Amino acid sequence: MSDPMFDYDRTLEACAGHDERAFQALYRQESAQMLGLAISLLGQRDAAEDCLHDAFVQIWRNAGRFQRSLGSGRAWIYSILRYRALNQLRQRGRTVALADDIAEHLIDDSPSAAQQHEQQSDKRHLRACLQKLERPRRHPVLLAFYRGLTHEQIAERLTTPLGTIKGRIRSGLRALQECLQR
Amino acid sequence: MISTDPAERRALIGEYVLGLLEQEQAAEVAELIERDPQAAAMALQWQQHFLELSDRLEPSTPSPGLWPRLQHTLNLGQRTSAWQAWWSSLSAWRLTSAALAMALLIALLPMPWQSDTPPASYTAVLQPPGEAAAPGWVVHIDAAGTLLLEPLREDQVAADRSVQFWTLVDPQDGPRSLGLVEPGERLTLTAEQIGAVRAGQLFELTLEPSGGSPLNRPTGEVLYIGRAVMAALD
Repeated sequence: MSDPMFDYDRTLEACAGHDERAFQALYRQESAQMLGLAISLLGQRDAAEDCLHDAFVQIWRNAGRFQRSLGSGRAWIYSILRYRALNQLRQRGRTVALADDIAEHLIDDSPSAAQQHEQQSDKRHLRACLQKLERPRRHPVLLAFYRGLTHEQIAERLTTPLGTIKGRIRSGLRALQECLQR
Repeated sequence: MISTDPAERRALIGEYVLGLLEQEQAAEVAELIERDPQAAAMALQWQQHFLELSDRLEPSTPSPGLWPRLQHTLNLGQRTSAWQAWWSSLSAWRLTSAALAMALLIALLPMPWQSDTPPASYTAVLQPPGEAAAPGWVVHIDAAGTLLLEPLREDQVAADRSVQFWTLVDPQDGPRSLGLVEPGERLTLTAEQIGAVRAGQLFELTLEPSGGSPLNRPTGEVLYIGRAVMAALD
């Protein structure tokens, strides 16, 4: 579970000061959730662990570049992980065999009771905004997020022309940002 | 060329964060983020929103060898053998879901010390973060507001460290210390010491320097964490 008591910003600043204990605390706090995302993107546990390793190496080495004025520490950590995972996908030509049922399960938007509680208690918005999007605009965004697919791969997978997919994603993201800023 | 229209730019950065852009355009956006703090902030905002999707995924505990590998790569951990020993023992503490079910059952059964209290009460099962089936402690709060923290296992803690008990009602107010805990020993707190309890309230045990955190918030690793749920006892 994400822990509102954990101070990601301060922990990263401590890492920037070479505080190994803070780095351990961060690993302990976040590695399992990060590995979950890496597995979703890369499809294989070994590759995902390599990616997690590389991401933590980058986090430790670049912690000094984190600035809390630009955004949250947790978002910063996941940026690093995501870019590492996307790089790995590009290097191997994103030939991940997709477990379709898992993708569909995640993309199916029936929130569990726990998630509803989480949404109420944390006043989170993205999922509510995504649910307002109709499926043809929502689905490609989720495929990109969870599977790291390119425009072309999404077009192929959904047997929809590339231009249509690009347009739907762009307009989907614009609708999301409008909804999120409310 | 990258559009200067803010909404177009924000959407483009969203596509970059998702990893949709072709190499050439991605490089252009990366360069923009590098030099323009506003663009960097936009990228982090998207990332922050998308955390909500990441958090829907099942966490997966890394294999025990990953942390030592990371230490080796970064040449860290010259003085952390005690911590490592603790970490590996933590990895070994995998309980089955049957044990979790048992812990919940124990938590929900009327307890001898609750026999003369009215029905409404709260329970929280505290588990290592990211581990679905390894409860370490159970918190009971009876209707009179008395809290009992009960161990389900006896952890080894290094002599120079202390385990501290915290609660968080509202993230705005920040965490509040409920004092130090001896591993394997019950702790009872009065209603005055813990204050009003409500569903969803967070309880947490952290590993702190001997004598407790030097600050008014946790500074060490989270050992166990859980939220209070209403336990309707008859």
